[in-house]
Amino acid sequence: MEPASVLPDVLRGRVAWIFGDDFDVDLIVGVENIKYYDPDKLRAVCMKAFDPEFVDRVQPGDVVVGGRNFGYGHPHYPPLVALRNLGISAVLAESFSPGFWRGETYNGMPLVAVPGIATAVRRFDAVEVDWRRAVVRLPDGTELTGDPPSERVVKVLESGGSLNLLLREHGRRRTPAEG
Amino acid sequence: MSDVTQPTEQPTPRNGTALTITEKILARAGGLGEVRPGQNHPFRPDYMVAYDFPGYTDLMFKQMHDDFGITEVDDPERYLVFIDHMLSNGDQREEEVHDVTRRWGEFYGITVHEGRGIGHQVAAELGYALPGKFLIHFDGHISGLGAFGALGWGVRRDLLEAWVSGRIFLDVPASTRFHLTGSFAPGVDNRDLIHEIISRVGADGCAHQVMEFTGPGAENMSLGRRQGLCGMAMFTGAVSAIFNPDDAALEYARRVARAEFEPLTSDPGAAYTATHEIDLDALRPRVVLPGSARAANTLGVDEAAGTPITRAFIGSCASGRIEDIRAAAEVLRGRRVAPGVQLNVVPTSQLIHRQAEEEGLLDVLREAGANVAISSCDFCFGYARPLQPDEKCISTGVLNISGRMGSTGADIYMGSAYTVAASAVSGRITDPREVVE
Repeated sequence: MEPASVLPDVLRGRVAWIFGDDFDVDLIVGVENIKYYDPDKLRAVCMKAFDPEFVDRVQPGDVVVGGRNFGYGHPHYPPLVALRNLGISAVLAESFSPGFWRGETYNGMPLVAVPGIATAVRRFDAVEVDWRRAVVRLPDGTELTGDPPSERVVKVLESGGSLNLLLREHGRRRTPAEG
Repeated sequence: MSDVTQPTEQPTPRNGTALTITEKILARAGGLGEVRPGQNHPFRPDYMVAYDFPGYTDLMFKQMHDDFGITEVDDPERYLVFIDHMLSNGDQREEEVHDVTRRWGEFYGITVHEGRGIGHQVAAELGYALPGKFLIHFDGHISGLGAFGALGWGVRRDLLEAWVSGRIFLDVPASTRFHLTGSFAPGVDNRDLIHEIISRVGADGCAHQVMEFTGPGAENMSLGRRQGLCGMAMFTGAVSAIFNPDDAALEYARRVARAEFEPLTSDPGAAYTATHEIDLDALRPRVVLPGSARAANTLGVDEAAGTPITRAFIGSCASGRIEDIRAAAEVLRGRRVAPGVQLNVVPTSQLIHRQAEEEGLLDVLREAGANVAISSCDFCFGYARPLQPDEKCISTGVLNISGRMGSTGADIYMGSAYTVAASAVSGRITDPREVVE
């Protein structure tokens, strides 16, 4: 039997921030901090350049929104670790840069590409995200729809990331399955 | 800005059973008769490539052994690790990082290539990047191997999936075609072409796709230039870039091949999301402003000319090839690097270093006041001679976000080896066509 999904079917939260196009996630913590994983350090620097009060305003379950090509550049992992530590539950964007998309999908963060999202929401709007169908419900009841994730990515997200899924599929095997 | 490219922009639908080279490589790697863009499937890479870096490979080595319990691999020749980062200080820390890698290689019987140069180049020289092969790496600049008709795909930490299962789930990408005519004018090269393409299609213009280069301009381009071009694919949002193997690529592959290979090429009538016609003769030098390679930061060199610099760098997996060193020597012959400017030149591999030495190019560079360093990735990521606050650097490195090459208070401009060399001579960002015949 498949284990239960670590993600609820529908994510509910507020829009904690809206980023622009081609956004380089390293800026979330500042380029000088992209090698830190210490939670206190990351909390101290997270989003300071955008809203000094961000870490106090954000609530667990909130999402962040991006424009086109979110994650452009050489994305490092600590910026999203910092957001995850604050309870950010998903990133919704017009589109994602492929390297960022792979890296954070591996880490189990739902990344939902939804055309129109960047201009359809304002900060602190409450949204509902049906991540398997890539449907985002706005406060006024309208729905924006993107391309749903592949079956494989659904499994990755349900497992809380690739490592968990791979361990279930391939752990303690002695040799790789496919020589 | 649109004098160079004439996009048809129109998707070319598939004619009959025609396939792109990318689709054919993945169909073979997936054990499938054919594949379709968007199809998700576990593909078997011919080679799984990495370089060692703290926080990446050391963690993955441990996961593979401790968490997955893998104590032997049946096909160690498919695993490939390079030591090309963190070589410049010769200190205890470097030894510790690389020792972890050496011991991992010994444990599984996996070859660790050390002291040969930047892995994305050395993988070609050692005959891994063969036409039709499928290679993955955690680092996206593996796309440079597309120069040889191989598909190189950066999969980040999903490399572990392939290490422990032999396969990796990927979505089959669509392709955008860049049909090239003509050849580079003096002082203009592949680096200007990639930035022209980004300014034309945008930083996500090829998102989740493969860039495929075709046409007489592609065939006119040397293999090293093709590598530099393909290696920058990620900055258009592409997952890779590829040339159909021609005589030059096949001849190279036959010379270095370490395995049998069966070249694949796109069929006439294959499907493309868009086709962009680019006249290389009309291409002009490009300079990228500090921050990122996105379109809004990409200018003609004339628009950035005059900016004073203190540092100049020629090297990285996207440059530093024999063509780039010849370009630098052409500019620097009989000239001097300006006072107050430090020019570092890093040949991409030891083989290229040796060839440049034999051609007398490195003497030209040294006589001009350049520092020629051993082949590594260390300048490009700010490990060797990091930039100081308030410095301005012009670079052929792959990335120019603040802090990439040292202090976050330094500015990094990007351009071709011609532009970097010409700027090093004048101490200001300079149009290389002023000094190149």
